[in-house]
Amino acid sequence: MIYRETGNFVTNYFKDREIFPLKFDKIIVIIGLLFLYLYVPTTSEYTLSAHVVPILAVGLATVGLNILTGLTGQLSLGTAGFMCVGAFSTYNLMLRIPEDFMSLPVALLFSGIFAGLVGVIFGLPAIRIKGFYLLVSTLAAQYFVWWFFNSYAWFLNYETSGVVAIPPKMYDYWGLGNLLGIDMQGYPARYVLALTVCLALTYFAKNLLRSNTGRNFMSVRDRDIAASVMGISVPRTKLLAFFVSCFYCGVAGGLYSFCYIGNVDLMIYEIDRSFTILFMLIIGGLGSISGSWLGAIFVYEFPIVFTWVGDTIFQGAFNTAVVENVSNMVYGVFIIALLIREPGGFAALWATTKQKLRMWPYPH
Amino acid sequence: MTDILKVENVTLTFGGVKAITDISFNVREGEICAVIGPNGAGKSSMLNVINGVYLPQIGTVTYDGVERRTINPRDAAIAGMARTFQNIALFQGMTVLENIMTGRNLFMKSSWLEQGLNIGRARKEEKENRLAVEKVIKFLQIESIRKTPVSKLPYGLQKRVELGRALVAEPKILLLDEPMAGMNLEEKADMSCFILEINKEQGITTVMIEHDMGVVMDISDHVVVLDYGKKIGDGTPSEVMSNQDVIDAYLGVSH
Repeated sequence: MIYRETGNFVTNYFKDREIFPLKFDKIIVIIGLLFLYLYVPTTSEYTLSAHVVPILAVGLATVGLNILTGLTGQLSLGTAGFMCVGAFSTYNLMLRIPEDFMSLPVALLFSGIFAGLVGVIFGLPAIRIKGFYLLVSTLAAQYFVWWFFNSYAWFLNYETSGVVAIPPKMYDYWGLGNLLGIDMQGYPARYVLALTVCLALTYFAKNLLRSNTGRNFMSVRDRDIAASVMGISVPRTKLLAFFVSCFYCGVAGGLYSFCYIGNVDLMIYEIDRSFTILFMLIIGGLGSISGSWLGAIFVYEFPIVFTWVGDTIFQGAFNTAVVENVSNMVYGVFIIALLIREPGGFAALWATTKQKLRMWPYPH
Repeated sequence: MTDILKVENVTLTFGGVKAITDISFNVREGEICAVIGPNGAGKSSMLNVINGVYLPQIGTVTYDGVERRTINPRDAAIAGMARTFQNIALFQGMTVLENIMTGRNLFMKSSWLEQGLNIGRARKEEKENRLAVEKVIKFLQIESIRKTPVSKLPYGLQKRVELGRALVAEPKILLLDEPMAGMNLEEKADMSCFILEINKEQGITTVMIEHDMGVVMDISDHVVVLDYGKKIGDGTPSEVMSNQDVIDAYLGVSH
């Protein structure tokens, strides 16, 4: 009975808008931050490279897609394409601009802006069309971006294999490596960068969601005619959603390449990844920022846990093909079950659980 | 009193269907104008023409001294028109508070970057507009449901929230499309009180489509009657009631 919501009286409108209104929540957040910043970097390189960093990257892309699909109601299948723009821009910014002027965090910011602008161009049809028809436009974005980077070898610095490893010096920004005496290319340093970017952007998204911009996004999703009658510029709102969403995807792509795999590779930004991120979004819950992270963790971790179960309990009975197929089946079942029983995904399930616990042991 | 709204010779067609044929009428500043008529008479289409949801083929709408043939809904909102819809166009995924806050969007001047970072102007605006919203919430007596998602509310309350969303924009003219449709007697009385109070206390000109003749005759200053897309009556409630064309349209003609 430590966690209780009673006795928390709101006395002004700033307090009413707080993300964490309860003192207990605030303490948990501080403990969580300390855990993420102080404990997690000291865990094994395997934990960081195989679990934490990739979840941060794809989770951020899910948050990005959520802004477009969950909040504004514009379907998109171009997520991996926009991530690809982010990854390639980060690499080229680092490669072509003298290092005195460019550092990895700054490059990530600018590649987000590039991806956002590409998103706006492919989002232009959204002014006139919606739903499945718009899906085709974003699908075109996915294939166009892929074809573009595949056709012009300049972007990969004329690397014939199609994969270019990221040179270690690109990781060393602001002289932090020498200053703190740590290996900036090592996973702990990469993790801290990815974590900081993700926390900052998640906070930004959460603020956007509870401000006028977020309400404009949702009003366009729910009733675009009513939105325009209230003075909201629907085309501008849609394009802004495309920009912000693709900014997130671009930064996520940069993190995926630089912090996770350590090379720039076109093959990982194929259409499959767009679908995976869409699954994460649907399973996590459309329109909920925390849901996006839950969905990303679930979809990313499921095959890993499944393999681990197979290896430890059934003596390695499942090969990779089995794992992949079973995973896809499980996602499918989850999506169908959630769409029928709880369209709000994990986020809504969590809210229902909380509500049930509030009432417990009474049913109503 | 001056005319705030002048509809002149408006004709609206959808393909071959003439929804509105050559209609003209004036709305004086500060009055409650009721638009009545049988189903399919073109009443809702008329409102949609006034605030730019539909574009008429012929005719002009003069609002606040500016004559236009077409206006887009956003410009209409900026010029001070607010409206509700016949079949409730609330944002179903949002709470009552969020819905009504959306009505204040034209008062929010901070950029999305400021709002995302939650700094300076964005924070201040959110608070100031919340105060305005709370005033409307109090006026409509919906304090207890402010954090409820609108999809969970009963029909009557949804209508009230929609009125609040239009009212909070501080409009010069309020267009209400069947504000009392599907309500019971008590809810109708409440809604009539709100409309009268908005009109008399806050001086907001109101154009209202309504089917309940009792309500129309009681609260409106001016009635326009449409039938089959044509205007058949225009005047004070008592004038309209004694108009032979109106009686024929409502009660039928013996052949």
